[in-house]
Parts: sequence; C-alpha cells; structure tokens
Amino acid sequence: MIDHDVLVIGGGLSGLRAALEAKFRGADVAIISKVYPIRSHSGAAQGGINASLGFDDSWEAHALDTVKGSDYLADQDTVEILCREAPERVIEMENWGTNFSRKDDGTIAQRPFGGAGFPRTCYAGDRTGHNLLHTLHEQVLKNKIKVYNEWLVTRLVVEKGKCIGSVAMNTANSEMDALRAKATILATGGYGRIYQRSTNAIINRGSGIALAYMAGVSLKDMEFVQFHPTTLWGTNILITEGARGEGGYLYNKDHERFMASYAAGAMELAPRDIVARAIQTEIDERRGFPGGYVQLDITHLGKEKINKRLPGIRQISIDFAGIDPVQKPIPVQPGQHYSMGGVSSNKDGETPMPGLYAVGECACISVHGANRLGGNSLLDTVVFGKRAGGAAAEYVKTVENQTEESLIDALKSEQQSIEEMMGEGGENFAELRDELRAIMQEYVGVFRNREKLEHAVEAIRELKERGKELRVKNNSSVFNFELMNAIELKGMLELGHVIALGALVREESRGAHYRTDYPERDDENWLKHTLAFFKPEGPELDYREVTIDRFQPERRAY
Amino acid sequence: MVTLKIKRQDGDRTWFDQFEVEEKTGMTVLEALFHVQERQDGSLCFRYSCRGAVCGSCAMLINKVPGLACRTQVANVKDEAADEPEDDIAAVKQSGKVEGKNEILIEPLPNLKVIRDLIVDMDHFYSLVDSVKPWIDMQDREPEKVTLMDPSTQNQLERYTNCILCATCHGACPAAARDGNYLGPAALAKAWRFYLDPRSRDKDRDELLELLDSESGVWGCDVVYKCVAVCPKKVTPTPAILELRKKME
Repeated sequence: MIDHDVLVIGGGLSGLRAALEAKFRGADVAIISKVYPIRSHSGAAQGGINASLGFDDSWEAHALDTVKGSDYLADQDTVEILCREAPERVIEMENWGTNFSRKDDGTIAQRPFGGAGFPRTCYAGDRTGHNLLHTLHEQVLKNKIKVYNEWLVTRLVVEKGKCIGSVAMNTANSEMDALRAKATILATGGYGRIYQRSTNAIINRGSGIALAYMAGVSLKDMEFVQFHPTTLWGTNILITEGARGEGGYLYNKDHERFMASYAAGAMELAPRDIVARAIQTEIDERRGFPGGYVQLDITHLGKEKINKRLPGIRQISIDFAGIDPVQKPIPVQPGQHYSMGGVSSNKDGETPMPGLYAVGECACISVHGANRLGGNSLLDTVVFGKRAGGAAAEYVKTVENQTEESLIDALKSEQQSIEEMMGEGGENFAELRDELRAIMQEYVGVFRNREKLEHAVEAIRELKERGKELRVKNNSSVFNFELMNAIELKGMLELGHVIALGALVREESRGAHYRTDYPERDDENWLKHTLAFFKPEGPELDYREVTIDRFQPERRAY
Repeated sequence: MVTLKIKRQDGDRTWFDQFEVEEKTGMTVLEALFHVQERQDGSLCFRYSCRGAVCGSCAMLINKVPGLACRTQVANVKDEAADEPEDDIAAVKQSGKVEGKNEILIEPLPNLKVIRDLIVDMDHFYSLVDSVKPWIDMQDREPEKVTLMDPSTQNQLERYTNCILCATCHGACPAAARDGNYLGPAALAKAWRFYLDPRSRDKDRDELLELLDSESGVWGCDVVYKCVAVCPKKVTPTPAILELRKKME
C-alpha cells in the first residue's frame, strides 16, 4: 500500500501547483499521473493567462468581464478571488522562470483577448501553457516531490463519508495498488474526448470527474461545454484566440467579415460562445466553405509579427493543414474545447466530501459560469491549485490516519471488476467510444433542442447498457492501452449522460448552452447551478443558488 | 492502403509485424498506429497524448529518422527509401523516393532501453535532464514584482524553452549511442537555457559549468548537428553546447 498525507491525481498545471503548495506547508505529498507530467494537456494552452497588471487596469474590471462573460452564472465570490490573486500568481510564475513575452520596457507583455475590456492576457508567444507547465514541473523537481508516473487511478475509496484514498493501476505492469491519503486532490482536467471534434489531447477523457461522480460527489453545471470558435479544420487542433487578439479576421466564403452581423462592437473579439455560434451559423446557412469551415486570416499581420507572436500556430497550420498562414488564411471550425462544469468545489478546492479536493478544469469552482473567457483557465489552475494545496495541507493536520481495511477491500473489488472485463467477445471500446463521440457532437453540440437532446439521452442510455458488456481482448500486462481505454470509457459514458440530461432539462440559453427552442436567457427560472448526483438508473439533478454580490445580471451584448 | 512495418518487442523477443492501413488525406503516422491498435492488434504499445506536436510523447524512429509520430504525415514518408542498413539520417533524407512503395518502417527511439514495442525507458532520459538541475532557485525570496527582461534576451531564451523533452534528439545522437552516461543534447540545451537566464544566480552558473565540464558533459558531443536536424521544435542543442564549451575555456 502506498501512503501519503496528500495525494494529487493529475500532473498538469493545477496538480503541480497544488502539490507544490502542500509541500511548502510541510505535508508529505505525492503526485500520481497517467502520463509523465509534462505530457499533460495544460501544455497545449496557447494564448495566455489573464492578470490585471496594467496601472490603468484593475481586478474589479477583470471580475466584471469574467462575470459578464459567464452570462452571470459564475459565483462572484470565487471570481473575486480569481481576479484579485491573479497578479500575484503570474508574478510568481515569472520569478520561477516562465519565459513570458516582454514589452520594450522589460515588463510582461499583454494582449487583448475575447470579452475583455483591457489587454490583460500575459503570454509566452503562443506557447503559454507549455512554458507554465515546464516551469512548474521544474519547481516540482527542485522540491523533490514524488511522482508516480503512468499510473491510472480507477476508483476513490470512501469511508464514513470521507475520502480516504484511492485505487490505481501501474500501467507499466497492470498491477493495482491501494493509495492511502488523508487528502486527495483531483486535478485531472477535462473530458473533451467524449466529443468527436475537440481541441483536447487524446488523454482527456474526464476520468477524474467520473471518479468523483461515482464516489457520490455532485457534478456542477456540466451542460456548459465550451466550443472554441477556431480549431483547425480536420484535426481540430487549437488555433489560439490570440490570433484574433493580434488582429486576425474571420471571413466566410463570400469574403465577408461576418462577425459584423453577430457582435458589431467586439467583432472577432467577442467571447467564445458568441463567435462559435456565429461560425456555426455561417456554416449551417451555407456561407462556409465546402466541407464546413470559415477562414481565419492573419496574412495582413506580416511574417515578422506572426513569427514573433504566433509561431506555434504557424507551425501547426503548416504541419497539420499544409497551409502557411503567412500566405494563406487558416481553415477553422468550432470544436469542443473546455468544460465549465466539473466536480463541485469551493474557493479552497474543497468538494462536499471531506478529504476530497478538486481543482482546474475537472472542478467547478464556478469562476467560469456558462462561458469561460480565454486566458482565465490557466489562471484558474494556479490560483486555485495553490489554494487547494494549502487547504489540504492544513486539513491533514487535523485528521487521523485511516485503517487499511476499506482500502484493501476496495482494491480487491477493483481487481475483480477488471478481471471480469478481460476476455473475448462482448463489446469493443473503440466502437462504443466512437458512437458516443458522434452522439455528443451531433446532438449535444453548439446548437441544441429538445428533440436532439432527448435522442442523445436515450442513445447514451443504450450505450451504457452495451458498456456493461465491454471486453478487453488484449491480455498483455505491459501498457495495456485497450484496458485503460475500456476503464476510462465507462466514465465517459456517465459524463455524456450527465451533460445531455442537464442540457435537456435547462430550458433556456445561457453562455455556451444554446437551445434553439429556448433562445433567451431566463433568469427568473434558470439563474441557478445544476447539480448532478450518480444514481444507478441515471443522474439525479438538483439546483443551487448563484452567488451574486457585486454585479447584477444585465443583458449581455458585445 | 499503406503498409506499416513495425518493430515489436516483448521481453527479449523482437520481431517485425506488417499492418495494412487505409490511408486518409492528412493522416499522420500516429493516426495510422491508432488504426492498428484499435482495429487490428490491441497489444501494440506506443505513447501518446496531445496529437498536436506539443507534448512530446510520441517520439519514435520513422524510416530510420527519429521524429514525432503525430507530426509526421503518412503521405510524406510512405515512399521514402528507408532500407539503408546503416541508420544514418542524412542517408535516408538523400536516398530519395520510391514511387508506389507505400511502406513505412516504424521502430522504437534508439539509445534508450525498449520496454515494449515502441515504448522506451524515458526515466533514463529524464534523469539525465534532471541532473543539470533545470530550475530557477528563488531562495525563499517572496516574489513581489517581475524581473525585468529585455525582449531580445527573452527571444534568446525562447529558442531553448521551446524544448518539449521528447528525446528525439537523444535518439539521433551518436555520443548518446556510445556513452549511456552522456548527458545528451536535451539536457545540455536545458543547461544552457538556465545559464542564459537572468534569473539564475552566478553561483548556479558556476556550479553548472563545473558539472558539465567532462566527457559525459559538453566534451562528449561530436558536433555533428544531428540533434539540430531532427528537433521538431527547432531547438538547437549543438550551438548551446559550443557556447558552454566557450565559457569553460
């Protein structure tokens, strides 16, 4: 049995930052991750991290933009923390060695981003996530924090309502072990891969969110799924909002800057939900290019500026679409990008279950509400990663070590259920997964309605039934990817169900959740958070008030 | 259809398997490998994550050239003549095309122990990088403000901070091939990145030079620029190694 005070599941930005803070506060902390930490999806973040560093900017202005961007669903107390602590966290990352782009005076450069009233997005070229991730990983190395690499956590262990650890598989040899921890921090990222078209890494299967859900912890606001307006046509690799922040234009096939019809004020720099719907509408109404895309044109920025500010997306366009954006516009289409929803969690990353914390994309601390602003997710990871790591380190001082019995029981039952999945016949993970991804894409996408969503819920129910017959034919114990995929697919099916059902019941349009049959926001009935609880027959939904103090809901126009 | 000829390994046993994959426009080698793993042989192992050439998981030997599977288009490599017995990058690149060959040779990244199939022991590679202490030491000082940095210094650093530690360079390095203790291009480039960084302390720089002043450090390099040739992020380890040598002279 592996034993630590604090166990962080996930080695991306929020996990690394949480582990560092727990370590600074004297806790015995370890990180467990299914990939080596620098392979985490945080590294793919491009555009930047928001902080009101400018002398004429303020955390209040940042907070207002964030709340308005969220379509008033964000909790304003946690938004306040996010925006107040932003400058401190960014300065800390700089001091740890992040290679931020600079202004001529040597300070950190900032670019305009969608939905922001001020250029407050700090960046390292268009490889901000990569730079932050490597910096935090370097600090984790320096602080000698133990990392269990290439281990997949398959279950949380709960005793008397408390999380006392987890069960995990070392994927290098398929051996399972129990992990005893006084505090467990989920930092496992999003579930993008339940959609057919997603910017997310292939490993983003939402496994941590499913772990909490299956352990009885509520998920919050899961129907709010961000579709990024500009993903590379074909592969759906992210093309940063920074491309528009630097002055890029969006054109339809008639060479119209169509954003004028959707957000005449903000144009290409309207928030993501609005731009994604605009592009999808152009495509649906046959003003897109054959195959379903529009053009993102940055040719007028010139080679020098593109090489300096957007070298990564230039390379991506050349490598994956055979197009050099210095010469030609980039073909783009909307694709799933981020989950505003996640495991219910508060300003210190505490979930409703003692001993369990959740931070980063897998959590819903509710700073993004119904639509996240670009540049706020990297910020979310370091602000709340630090807070959760600190809170967990304090918490573990107050609890006794748990007995091993429940952990050993959980280990045995987990070993047995994996054993039962092995064998010939039955369902194949890849087929079920592809069907799930097609359903989510077609029926739970940018534009939703009752008919589509009812179909999705029913289809997912059927897939879940078939999922009970999943069989893993490969019996190799060394890196059995088929087994890992099968384990994670079960969670993906659960999350799909929660998202589709939440979207079906929410009869309004707010932020990224757009119902063509209910096109208006309905504050009277729906200014509230959705909670989903696991029940064997399907998710049980409940609702909670939104914290509104500083900014009263207003009509959202850009 | 394109044929993937893949080197397999299970314990001490090695062999080659051939798989036919239906080629689609824009298909990468990584996608072709998934096709095999998910539809033909679930036991085939290879690492992956981002599929967009930013995470550095999927370095392998493709037609004898180390590279990222996700960044390599099937169409670009299927007609390469890669049957040269010596694994010489230059030879492959110059040996031209064989029209209609339709075959890609895929092997694990060289110079690291194979665990299974295309998965190599990266721990050895990571330990080499970690040994140069690749971090800024803030010495418990509370950061209150940003370090001012000239944009040109930032640019200089960027050439090295772009490294994704995929180990492609390590797989191409002749010095790493003959000396398992050689720090290798990635670790030395990382060392130079921290040497250059204005946030490093002089004490750190002195220690670094002392650490690297050996045959397994900067003096082990053959200066043949193979690492520079294969780096998917255009990082240039060889010039970094030469700069470090200059600092020692």
